[in-house]
Amino acid sequence: MADVTALQLIQRILAKTGAGGRPQTVDHVAAGDPTQAVSGIAVMAMADLATLKAAAAAGRNLAVTYDPGFWSGDDNFDHLERNALFAEKRDLLRAHGMVLFNLHDHWQGRMPDGIAAGMAQALGWQAEAANPNLFHLPPMTLLALAQELSAKLGDRTLRVVGDPKLPVATIATSFGNAAQMPGIALLGGPADVLVCGYTHEWEVVEYAQDMIAAGGKKGLVLLGQNASVSAGMRYCAGWMKEFIAEVPVEFFAAPEPYWNPE
Amino acid sequence: MLDRRDVIASGAGLAIAGATPARAASLTVGDVLTRMRSRIGTEWFPGGVDRIIAGSADTEVTGIATTMMATFDALKAAVAKRANLVVTHEPTFWSHPDTVSQLRDDPLYRTKLAYMQAHGLVSYHLHDHWHARLPVDGINDGMAQQMGWTRYRDPAAQRRYILPPTTLAALAREFQHKLGDRTLRVVGDPALKVSKVWESWGYCSAFPGIDFLDNDVDVLVIGEAQDWDLIAYAQDLVAAGRRKGLILLGHVLSEQWGMKTCAEWLKGFVPEVKVTWLPLIEPYWNLKQPVFEIDTKL
Repeated sequence: MADVTALQLIQRILAKTGAGGRPQTVDHVAAGDPTQAVSGIAVMAMADLATLKAAAAAGRNLAVTYDPGFWSGDDNFDHLERNALFAEKRDLLRAHGMVLFNLHDHWQGRMPDGIAAGMAQALGWQAEAANPNLFHLPPMTLLALAQELSAKLGDRTLRVVGDPKLPVATIATSFGNAAQMPGIALLGGPADVLVCGYTHEWEVVEYAQDMIAAGGKKGLVLLGQNASVSAGMRYCAGWMKEFIAEVPVEFFAAPEPYWNPE
Repeated sequence: MLDRRDVIASGAGLAIAGATPARAASLTVGDVLTRMRSRIGTEWFPGGVDRIIAGSADTEVTGIATTMMATFDALKAAVAKRANLVVTHEPTFWSHPDTVSQLRDDPLYRTKLAYMQAHGLVSYHLHDHWHARLPVDGINDGMAQQMGWTRYRDPAAQRRYILPPTTLAALAREFQHKLGDRTLRVVGDPALKVSKVWESWGYCSAFPGIDFLDNDVDVLVIGEAQDWDLIAYAQDLVAAGRRKGLILLGHVLSEQWGMKTCAEWLKGFVPEVKVTWLPLIEPYWNLKQPVFEIDTKL
């Protein structure tokens, strides 16, 4: 069988998302030669050094990542020319003939949203038919919800705004980064609680505090970025296997990046 | 709508009547801002986010409250302290430039604004100039005092501190203890030996954060950063074997003692009214301590 190149696979993946024709996107080949023959695909939440090393060791030379490998949302290399860690990471990719492909916008733009679908699967939650980011769960407390998220996602450091005893049943999710909009609109909507990866403390966190201070019965959960998208990329790896038979496809999990002191 | 009791309490009614010759000339918000501009130690520069966010400069000041973030709770606390000028380091309306164009019909925006109008509150965003204050960034000054670190500051770099040697875990516990920080997070080896600390209180973007981490320091301490830029860089440094750590305190707790310093500073040149610092409680809890303290506990 003829070699399949990174570009051929990337084009197939993008076409299968059905989310093409975007006026602008951060999805791009961030490193490597797109004509490189692919030995295997490593799917990951973020192309951090440890995960790339694991992929290289396993002989998977096409890394497909939700979050970038070079420490900025759009892989802006300004300021990095003389950065030693940048050179080290680039050299690792070169030494293993790796291609790094950022798959962010197209995966979330897929119908249904690939991150939300994968997260729902990991959580065992059923989304509303018309909205993959809205869930109606059996009533529980905000504390119980936080405990469930922690247990199912392996998230030890999540942070919560709101009354732990607050009854919650309707959950809005904005996995990954929740920008001020739609974050504010989601908190103002029918949901009792908004679950996201990260959001600025001076935007949606302040808004959630103010809603509570104004008498609103609301909660906000910040999972951390890795815990909030990993299952979405695990699901992405399974999805790719449906239409990529030439090379192995494998999801590479990464541990939580931070810890809380005892 | 302005409540009549508030009008009388603020003295505005008497000023209009002009019937109190014994009373000193009134102090307006504009007067306070003029004094601040002449005492910041640097040129007052255009642009940036510092401005009156709600209320007007000709409002007579009954009292001043400084706070890290003009949350609804903080505004209520200011009213309880009879302060009607709230000097806030962070936004009042949920974005750095306090952009409200998309919020005109937002019920919470209307409620918060109506509360401020009903109580004659003026919110002043003091962010850029408080950081630019000379000889030392006002936030850095207050945080160093709260941590007891003033004597450890590197004379050549105000953001760098040389502490007695400790470990990353012990340094994290020191922050927990001194700032009341239950949810701080740490990247790096808990046993890492640390002495040289670089601070960037508040939000830290990839640049200059990456340069801060690459300086001759063991640990960078910040308020918050995005997981996919600066935090990712710290993770990669650790994975590459560099002996570095990153501590994420949370934004409010990482800067708010700088607004205590701001209150002390204002007291020095606004003797006419009481100046109060309103400390905020950490907005979050985590599973180790699921406590609810933000709701009108100020």
